Amino acid sequence: MMRRDYILSAVLLVIAVGLPWLDPPRYLLAQGLLLFCWATVVSQWNLVFGIAGIFSLAQIAIFAVGAYSTAMMGRYLEMNLWYAFPIAGVIGVIFSLLIGLGCLRMRGVYVALLTIAVGQVLFVLIMGDGECSPLNPGICMSFTGGPSGMGGFGGFGWREVLGGRHFIIGDYYSMLGLLILAMAFTFWIIHSRMGLAFKALRDNPELASSRGISRFKYQLLVFALSAFFTAEAGAFFAAHFGSVGPGQLSFTLLLFLISMLIVGGMGRPWGPLLGAFLIMGGDEFLKEAGEWRHIGFGVMLLVFMIFLPDGVAGLIDRVWRRLTTRGGAARAGKAAPAE
Amino acid sequence: MADTREPLLACRGVFKHFGALAAVNNFDLDVLPGDVLGIGGPNGAGKTTFLDVISGINPATDGRIRFGGADIRQQSPEQICHAGIARTYQLNAVFDTLTIRENVLVGAAFGRGDRGVFPRMRFSREMRARVDRALALTGLEDRQHLNARELPVLDRKLLMLAGALATEPKLLLVDEPVGGLNPHEIDQVMEIMSGLTREGMTIILIEHVMRFLLALSKRVVIMHHGEKIYEGVPTGLLQDERVVEVYLGEGTAARLRHLMGGSAAHG
Amino acid sequence: MDYLIQIIVSGLTLGSMYALSAVGLSLVWGSFNCLNMAHGSVMALGAYFTLIAVDSIGFPVWVSLPFAMVGGALVGTAVYYLSVHWMLNTRNYETNIIIATFGIGMVMENGLLKIFGGYPYAQPLTVQGVAGLIGNVPVNYRSIVIWVVAAVLMVALGLLLTRTRAGRAIRAVAQNRDGAKLMGVPVARVYVQVLMLASLLAAVSGILISTTLQIVPYMGANPLLKAFIVICLAGLGNILGALYAALLVGLVEASASTLWAPQYGFPVILVVVILALIWRPEGLFGRVMVARQ
Ligand SMILES: Nc1ncnc2c1ncn2[C@@H]1O[C@H](COP(=O)(O)OP(=O)(O)OP(=O)(O)O)[C@@H](O)[C@H]1O
Ligand SMILES: [Mg+2]
Repeated sequence: MMRRDYILSAVLLVIAVGLPWLDPPRYLLAQGLLLFCWATVVSQWNLVFGIAGIFSLAQIAIFAVGAYSTAMMGRYLEMNLWYAFPIAGVIGVIFSLLIGLGCLRMRGVYVALLTIAVGQVLFVLIMGDGECSPLNPGICMSFTGGPSGMGGFGGFGWREVLGGRHFIIGDYYSMLGLLILAMAFTFWIIHSRMGLAFKALRDNPELASSRGISRFKYQLLVFALSAFFTAEAGAFFAAHFGSVGPGQLSFTLLLFLISMLIVGGMGRPWGPLLGAFLIMGGDEFLKEAGEWRHIGFGVMLLVFMIFLPDGVAGLIDRVWRRLTTRGGAARAGKAAPAE
Repeated sequence: MADTREPLLACRGVFKHFGALAAVNNFDLDVLPGDVLGIGGPNGAGKTTFLDVISGINPATDGRIRFGGADIRQQSPEQICHAGIARTYQLNAVFDTLTIRENVLVGAAFGRGDRGVFPRMRFSREMRARVDRALALTGLEDRQHLNARELPVLDRKLLMLAGALATEPKLLLVDEPVGGLNPHEIDQVMEIMSGLTREGMTIILIEHVMRFLLALSKRVVIMHHGEKIYEGVPTGLLQDERVVEVYLGEGTAARLRHLMGGSAAHG
Repeated sequence: MDYLIQIIVSGLTLGSMYALSAVGLSLVWGSFNCLNMAHGSVMALGAYFTLIAVDSIGFPVWVSLPFAMVGGALVGTAVYYLSVHWMLNTRNYETNIIIATFGIGMVMENGLLKIFGGYPYAQPLTVQGVAGLIGNVPVNYRSIVIWVVAAVLMVALGLLLTRTRAGRAIRAVAQNRDGAKLMGVPVARVYVQVLMLASLLAAVSGILISTTLQIVPYMGANPLLKAFIVICLAGLGNILGALYAALLVGLVEASASTLWAPQYGFPVILVVVILALIWRPEGLFGRVMVARQ
């Protein structure tokens, strides 16, 4: 981690922690909270796709698994959700490991195709789940809640502590805490020895293996590690909204999240946060626009892929490097490395 | 030439088939510790394929390959690397988005072994020291923070060499280290390579530039259609009819004889 | 016995529809390593084209099929010039093109939603009635039409690829891009032709699918995923393999739906295909007609 990163973290932290004290409208807090949630998901996706170079689209499914398993533990086992959260994370990790094992011998686009199918299979299973479950006495509701989803499993519990007016502040800080942990985790991984293995395998798998890196081991590791905070984000999402539904597996959400990843800048540690901020900010202006909103996202994806495939963070990086190297030939040798 | 030492690498009856093509055909080879073996031969002779076989990138279809007494034929590239064989590639293979230093660090951090399900996360002092040594040996220290993608050909070749050296191999496999370089650059690489041989590094070296191959090798093998058609001292090569016929050509052989003069050491 | 007949009848119907889209998808991948995520939206567009032809313009029903085919081909051309054209030979081309075409697909799908709304329409180009019974299993005219259309188009595609100059150029490119370039094949033009051809087939596939279901903007999503699974199973770029794999997947899905429950069709396919791919990572039929990567 470089000094630039520490300064940036400190500034962002002050803003994010300070925001609720400025007594902002509730809507802003709700949007901020959502931003933290998506940024968490995208930061872990970035680990798999941007850093390790595995084009997995399973992250949405893992997010949904985290959300649904939390909802089910809360509803059927009547668990306090704070106990359910870590379990949901572990379930997500196991789920992701299974996907990783399934994709292990395949390469490149095969992984993309099969992981996208995994998410859709979950979607189909939930949508088609119409059998009344004995776990829901008194009403006819299926085990997963089917197309209409499920609720009635509690939440973070801040309502009881802070009251109905301020509970959102509790939710806000909970989600912020998750994002901070996820970001710290991401930085740790990226700059660690393991992160170097991921990047080496991404850049040149054959050379990496003849330098002693096992693709098998590190592919499974990245599938497992990236799943924990993704599932956790799903769990927190469920806890905040108090309901889960199959919409979490939709192509629309995939479009939304992949836009964050691409616009922010893949493979760069700050990309996901930047992307989440830009997309959510831009979305505010498109909110009223109905279908135009998704059309806008589609066009934007296309434009970025053609003109700016490394996203806004990549652009900033290049400009930054241009500026610092122009600052003096003496410093040219010490120009900041890409990551 | 009789030597009682145990060979470091022993290949017996090694085959590599691509469909009907035997790219490596019934190959026997012993490499002793401290040996510098040059491999030459026309394009498509199977030289690179032979390195792929040894390094596990493209496993042999038949035969025995023992390294340091252990059978490595069925092992994965990473296991073979951990056993102590490091290689460079004919095509410039580096980690494009990493800096020179990070590139070399890959070899230093993983080349010696990577035990445990959950790997260690930190870079140890020894790993950093290995990087520094490899960078010093190849003269890349002053450029270590440049991105690999932007490097000129010579530096990429040196970087591949440094990455291999950082694993501190017992056997170094080098595939055309000076292909595409100008004479001045060739001399630079030659300098570095002879430094390695002086230190007693065991090397298998593939090269078409005969001046380079003959100067560095203690022993030479010439391959043709996957088979060994010559094995012996470098100077003997120029007298061998078959080698001159299928590979060198009269002109080149004469020129090389002249170049080597009487100065070449006799094995 | 009736179960078996039922499975074969509906499996062949599903397989025929998947084949039309999967073969095109595989052809595009084989020619220029593009996984076209907009393929599903082209299927939906195909179905809407018949709707436009019949309902809005007032063409006779039978004209709507060629109308939709031409429309599909034009959309394919547009997809080429909007994405592939700009991205060939760039870094990470293979993944970037997936994302770019996904963007295009979302634009098309939401464009349809904007124009036609989310209401389901019935496909005007269809036939009603039961042709007869095999055992006790009724066979619709509709299924027969689907088989016939798919078979005719597959044979036509086969003839095109093997007997015509353009087809030979396509195969040359799919087998060895650089070699074809050296032999003077205008590679970029071949790419456009391939995408036109694939999109034309996708449009027809969309029409066939909409005769059994309804026309809605997102109707291509599910068939696209099935087509992806089919081409993974076959081995990416293997065109003949895609045809067999489509029929296989159709039969597996029909078995799961008939013997178990309709919603288990897709999950069962996925599990079967993943197991098959763990066994043979390059696909069941290998890479017979694949560009060297
Ligand atoms: N992956 C492969 N699949 C099929 N054939 C291959 C493969 N790799 C190499 N070959 C063939 O094996 C033979 C030996 O190739 P190899 O690259 O080992 O030759 P080489 O001696 O290194 O030649 P050069 O001097 O040009 O580097 C060639 O005929 C080549 O076409
Ligand atoms: Mg070679």
